[in-house]
Amino acid sequence: MTAVRPAPTGGTLRAGLLRQPAFWVVAALLAAGMIRITAIGVHLGTEYPRAMLTATVLFALLAVPFWWFVVELDFLEREPAALLTMAFGWGAFVATSVSLPGGAALDDLVAKLGSPTLAADWGAALASPTVEEIAKAAGIAAIALVARGHVNSVLDGVVYGAMVGLGFQIVEDIVYALGAVALAGQGDEAQPVIATFLLRGFLAGVWSHTLFSALAGAGIGFLVVHRERRWRERIGVAALAMLGAWGSHMLWNSPLLRDGLGNGLLALLAVLVFKGLPPLLLILYLVRRAHDREADYYVGQLSTLHDREVITDRELAVLRSGSRRAAARWYADERAGHRARRAVRRLQRAQAGLAVEISRSGPAERHRDEIRQQRSVLIRLGHPEAIDPPTASGTWRRRAWAVISTVVAVAVVWVALSALGGS
Amino acid sequence: MGKVTRRQLTDLLGMLGVVAVLAGLAIGLPAVDAALPANRPVSPDRRYEIGAGVTVLPPSGAVLDVTATRPGDLRGSALFRLGPVRYLIAVRPFHGDVEAAAASLRARITGTPGYQVTGTQRSITTDYGRQGLQGGYTAPGRSGRYAVFVASGLSAEVTVAGADLDLGHRLSAVERSTMSLRFPEQS
Repeated sequence: MTAVRPAPTGGTLRAGLLRQPAFWVVAALLAAGMIRITAIGVHLGTEYPRAMLTATVLFALLAVPFWWFVVELDFLEREPAALLTMAFGWGAFVATSVSLPGGAALDDLVAKLGSPTLAADWGAALASPTVEEIAKAAGIAAIALVARGHVNSVLDGVVYGAMVGLGFQIVEDIVYALGAVALAGQGDEAQPVIATFLLRGFLAGVWSHTLFSALAGAGIGFLVVHRERRWRERIGVAALAMLGAWGSHMLWNSPLLRDGLGNGLLALLAVLVFKGLPPLLLILYLVRRAHDREADYYVGQLSTLHDREVITDRELAVLRSGSRRAAARWYADERAGHRARRAVRRLQRAQAGLAVEISRSGPAERHRDEIRQQRSVLIRLGHPEAIDPPTASGTWRRRAWAVISTVVAVAVVWVALSALGGS
Repeated sequence: MGKVTRRQLTDLLGMLGVVAVLAGLAIGLPAVDAALPANRPVSPDRRYEIGAGVTVLPPSGAVLDVTATRPGDLRGSALFRLGPVRYLIAVRPFHGDVEAAAASLRARITGTPGYQVTGTQRSITTDYGRQGLQGGYTAPGRSGRYAVFVASGLSAEVTVAGADLDLGHRLSAVERSTMSLRFPEQS
């Protein structure tokens, strides 16, 4: 089964996009969405300038680690910045512009066809996922249509999906923060913005649109890549992934567990664990599988070289796994200092770039030169191989540190929220 | 400009399909929504629960607009319409006194471009002895009244809006309804 369809070589992405009539439709939609969201932003910014500035800065800063994490998901075959920006822009401007009237109308329809009570309890759980997941998935489909060659693995679908979701999440969070300011009725105050930032950005951020759309993206990635499968099967998998995204979003927005547990830390943890964790684990499992399949393919390209200067057998094993790549960088730092860590990172990146170029039968000399250069740096520093530590103790120490840091961060955010009256 | 290939044409058609889906969401859904009636009859003799246990007797001749009515255990809202007059009651958790609640509502009213609070704020007492504050505001082409009550850790905000003539005709019915507001401890 084909895990990866190598992107074609020849011509720049920019030139390819500009020749695509479909790209100009995307550009027009992005421009229209940008005008609409900017108009809303200007209106809110005029009303609450300080709160607007605070919200924009805080959520823009929050987007940075999310962006970095999503890009790093596909370490081996990184997506072009232009397409990632397009995906982010679709989520931020197009999907949000469509979801505002569509979501409100569907919420009204729940009230009209059901009852106001049904809409109060389940309106957000039914209307928002339905409209928003479709609007965001349309963005992933648009990327696949204008740059099909760059959606060449399921993991690519995950990355573009997550990027669309991230754009949506950031704009929605800013609008929610300004809504909290308006509702507080205390004028242009930053406190409701900070409470919204802690609640929606930190505590609920991980389980939000980035995650849901990544799941939808995995399905669209499968539909685009697995051309050896029957249409029925490809569409079925894409539909199942969409249903998963919708279901995860619906569960998160549903009134289940909203009442009865109070407003304390226990209630918060229960909501995070029961409503947020299942989709998070599902998408992490899917990302892991997609990553491993893609890694097997690209590492397989490098293993055919049998060139120890380019990559050793132990480095091949390390390059295959995200956690082992990180462990190799950490190990280099511990053994030979920060310069070795940087050299290992550059070496791994060049090895990945070389694998991609080999798969496309493209020009690989630039990556070979970079590998030679970083290899000589590592030899000079006395750490010639980019490998992870031979014992597992370092790995466990890093994992324990990550778990403790997460627990402490959640506790700090919760205390801060309580102090701000946001719980 | 080169020749458009078959693949590019197929992608363009696919993209137009995407546009059609977006149009369905952004234009189609609101059109379906607008085609269906939003008003439901309510009895002026039967208490309507707004949310969090707060109830009110709807004004005579009013209908309930279900698009802005959202009852709930912790908060809620109910929008009644008397012809062109909007009568909205919103209940939410509130930890403060009635002056603070009124200041918050006034800030939101005046936060809307063109809206201004008029006259002085006066005291108001419901049929159940709950004291609140009321006042008036103007907006381009319309006038409004507001009232705020605080009890049982809740605030109930009442806003009434309509053209001067319409409001004048229906204000007494709305005021009678507002006086019937009852908080959970008074049930």
